[in-house]
Amino acid sequence: MNDPLIRVDGIAKRFPARGGAGTAVFENVHFAIEQGEFVCLIGHSGCGKTTILNILAGLEPASEGYVFVAGREVNGPSLDRAVIFQSHALMPWLTVAGNVAFAVASRWRGWNKAKVRAHCQRYIDLVNLTGSERKRPAELSGGMKQRVGIARALAIEPRMLLMDEPFSALDALTRGMLQEEALRICRETRQTVFMITHDVDEAILLADKIMLMTNGPCAKIAEIVVNTLPCDRNRHDLHRHPHYYRIRNHLIEFLVGRSRAFDEEAAARGYDPRHPPVVKPGLGEAMPEVSGAHAARPQPGAKSLRAVVN
Amino acid sequence: MSAFKDPFNPELRLARGCGCGRHNDQAEHDAASAPPTDTETLASRAVDQAVMRALFPRDETRRRFLKAVGANTALAAVAQFFPLAAAREAFAQGKGQIEKASIKVGFIPITCATPIIMAHPMGFYAKHGLDVEVVKTAGWAVIRDKTLNKEYDAAHMLSPMPLAITLGAGAKPEPYTMPAVENINGQAITLAVRHKDKRDPRQWKGFKFAVPFDYSMHNYLLRYFVAEHGIDPDRDLQIRVVPPPEMVANLRADNIDGFLAPDPVNQRAVYDGVGYIHTLSKDIWEGHPCCAFAASRQFVAGMPNTYHALLKAIIDAAAFARKPGNRKTIAEAIAPANYLNQPVTVVEQVLTGTFADGLGNVRKVPDRIDFDPFPWHSFAVWILTQMKRWGQLKGDVSYGKIAYEVFLATDAARLMKEVGLTPPAATSKKFSVMNKEFDPANPDAYIASFAIRRTA
Amino acid sequence: MKHAAGWRAPALSAALFLLFLGVWHALTLPTGAQQSVDSEYARLVGAAAAAGQKSAMPGLREVASKIREHLKEPFYDRGPNDKGIGVQLAYSLARVIAGYLLAALVAVPTGFLVGMSPTMYRALDPFIQVLKPISPLAWMPLALFTLKDSSVSAVFVIFICSLWPMLINTAFGVASVRREWLNVARTLEVGPLRTAFRVILPAAAPTIMTGMRISIGIAWLVIVAAEMLVGGTGIGYFVWNEWNNLSLTNILAAILAIGVVGMALDQVLARLTRLVTFPE
Repeated sequence: MNDPLIRVDGIAKRFPARGGAGTAVFENVHFAIEQGEFVCLIGHSGCGKTTILNILAGLEPASEGYVFVAGREVNGPSLDRAVIFQSHALMPWLTVAGNVAFAVASRWRGWNKAKVRAHCQRYIDLVNLTGSERKRPAELSGGMKQRVGIARALAIEPRMLLMDEPFSALDALTRGMLQEEALRICRETRQTVFMITHDVDEAILLADKIMLMTNGPCAKIAEIVVNTLPCDRNRHDLHRHPHYYRIRNHLIEFLVGRSRAFDEEAAARGYDPRHPPVVKPGLGEAMPEVSGAHAARPQPGAKSLRAVVN
Repeated sequence: MSAFKDPFNPELRLARGCGCGRHNDQAEHDAASAPPTDTETLASRAVDQAVMRALFPRDETRRRFLKAVGANTALAAVAQFFPLAAAREAFAQGKGQIEKASIKVGFIPITCATPIIMAHPMGFYAKHGLDVEVVKTAGWAVIRDKTLNKEYDAAHMLSPMPLAITLGAGAKPEPYTMPAVENINGQAITLAVRHKDKRDPRQWKGFKFAVPFDYSMHNYLLRYFVAEHGIDPDRDLQIRVVPPPEMVANLRADNIDGFLAPDPVNQRAVYDGVGYIHTLSKDIWEGHPCCAFAASRQFVAGMPNTYHALLKAIIDAAAFARKPGNRKTIAEAIAPANYLNQPVTVVEQVLTGTFADGLGNVRKVPDRIDFDPFPWHSFAVWILTQMKRWGQLKGDVSYGKIAYEVFLATDAARLMKEVGLTPPAATSKKFSVMNKEFDPANPDAYIASFAIRRTA
Repeated sequence: MKHAAGWRAPALSAALFLLFLGVWHALTLPTGAQQSVDSEYARLVGAAAAAGQKSAMPGLREVASKIREHLKEPFYDRGPNDKGIGVQLAYSLARVIAGYLLAALVAVPTGFLVGMSPTMYRALDPFIQVLKPISPLAWMPLALFTLKDSSVSAVFVIFICSLWPMLINTAFGVASVRREWLNVARTLEVGPLRTAFRVILPAAAPTIMTGMRISIGIAWLVIVAAEMLVGGTGIGYFVWNEWNNLSLTNILAAILAIGVVGMALDQVLARLTRLVTFPE
């Protein structure tokens, strides 16, 4: 295997506390993302997920540790890494086309207007916003706004996408549609993606690898779950796959219980933060046993999952 | 016609009284000897007189000198040291090139400014080759600042102001000249109608009075008047500075009990049924100066021809305004919005002296206001004594020096030294204020003679 | 409900206005007092004084006819001290606009710098706090003394009173631009200048415009007072001149004109504010 596209090396974020030692939000975080991989980070609020994303983006410095992109250390934001913000962060004074063009013109300074427009149009079409180019964000629905955010991020043709809970502010229907579209686009463009989410189903649908984060303070990456579902999965038949509930239950179990008491578990199992255990549910890997009956039944906790996670 | 006496007539005294002794006063004498009335002669006389007065501040010396050498020789002698002809010529219209024909003169909308104002609508400025814009100004402090800032080339001021400006009292010192007095008399003490029965000034304890400015004849006359009646203006009264236009409004609102103000404010208070005229200022000091035409030394020296044309236009206008027959026409000319902005009848009552007094009587006082442009330096000395009396000036005041410099604006002292004379103390006419004689030669004794005063 | 409120508010406004006019009219009705002096005296004084009273507040009819008179000929010029109300308003407007634009030229860039840098903000804050509450008219004597020109002084007074709201609002608007927009710019590697003009300026524009709207209101308030102080020209001078003449009718007409122009200025700024304000 070649060098990964992203290598995160022991980063930590500490905030100075009154009277000496600071509290770490998270520490000793190590992971890598390969070219073309879609990685999700799941964890409770306050474990520092967004901070990790900001450090990857170069928007915030880490208190400790390093981030390398294609072997080069990150020390600031770069056009290499496009960010899709949770609140879409569209500029309300610009139209849809204007928002995308702002990014495109920043990426390719020398381009003339026509070239910028043509390039923008490609990505506006890609996110199915054709016809809304002249609208301002206020005239768009939440889902459409996020599509603009995606178009804006993709239009600069970054080496990787960083998504901070991009669909969490949307209603369930819209979220589903957008997830599917994100899946389609990422498959088409072989985009490398790092995404933060609360939504277990979203992670299972989109991610190749799901990183589980323990609760803060001193949060760390507990496990890396490999998505064992087939690559051509889609939203409609996802739940029919036998591995689906295994993965889902594993994730939920972690979020509901293990994320809180992980420190004890880690001590018992000889946890190494540099190499968090890799779990492949359904492929006979060492994973906490889940009974068949348990797995077959709809999970009672599933419905309230978002509430639990939030 | 004090301004226009021929100073080369040894029979004539420039001080008060009649030169030949055959007449009761100078006016009678002048009437008898029928002095020239055309402005050209008057103007050149004014120049001669100014120079002679500067050279011989003591009348006696001048007359002895003239008698000894004869008027013509004197003229030639003086001309050697002082370019009299040039000065006259500069004074005469058209002789010298006017440096700046288009000038601005500021005024406050009161009848004191009559010569300055009327010279515009009645064409006196145009007659002397000037295109003057007369600009109405909101208050004395503003007119002072605008003149100091050179926005105005010359301005209507209260006669104490050029003295105060020169001395740096209330402003930064700047050499100022007062080439002409605009008016004499023409002020009045007005009381609110509710004080109809308090005619005796001794009843005024605790009153709030308004005057237009600290450095004004109004302030000094009011203080003098009440002090003569045993009222201490600083302890028994409140005297505030209120701009003339606000006086009637304040009187109406009972914010003040009365004011000593320039007209038409007094007459306007009567017109609006707000106040009554208690005492005309001419009954305090007959012939007192009030407002002045003032210009900076810089203007006088830098643009002598413009200055002379301007001064001549104003002297001309003042001479016209002296004649009672012209007063009605003048009232109509200066009453409109562009000038005083008052009902014509109010201005007319002030100028003609036939006026309603606010108590239901029509009074006839033809010399309620008069116009005499000559700046007696004894006036300046009197003003300085009052400034000192009320603590506006501290320490020793060289009365004569300041009076000369400001009220006559000549380099007299220097010229006198050159002809071997000693620069004199003040010499000028004596006059009396409320029957109390004022001797300009002895100002400090005069101040000391008052029981109520603020000197240490 | 909404429909009903549509006509109720204007109707109430109209009723209040009529009530105001009615009270005014009732209070200024002539009292019908008898003339108590002889006719020669009466000829010399105003009607009220002849009846032994103080002159009264002008009635509705007088004010209305005076306003008609001004509207008929708003731009006459009868010498430097007597110009039509339209000319005077134009002078005032010119001064306000000059001082105001100068203030905007200074306040917006300064506010920008102050808003961008917390250190600058803290360093300049004491000065702003001390200078802001000073009545602009208090600057007038100082301005006359140092600038040596009354028109320039009036413009300076407008400048100084318009400065603070614009400066403070600009600084505040710039300081509170949403972090996400700045982050977008950062991730796009947008340079500081382009960020300032393409992101911060449009983002802070509504706040800046609000400051500018406050400023124009203050400037219009102050110009009247300033012109009453220095005179010469302008609507403030007009009021002063008519005060001098104790002509309340003219003063009321001027007050109305001042109000209408003030409202118009505010509306212009309100419209401009709407032009740069975009809901999210």
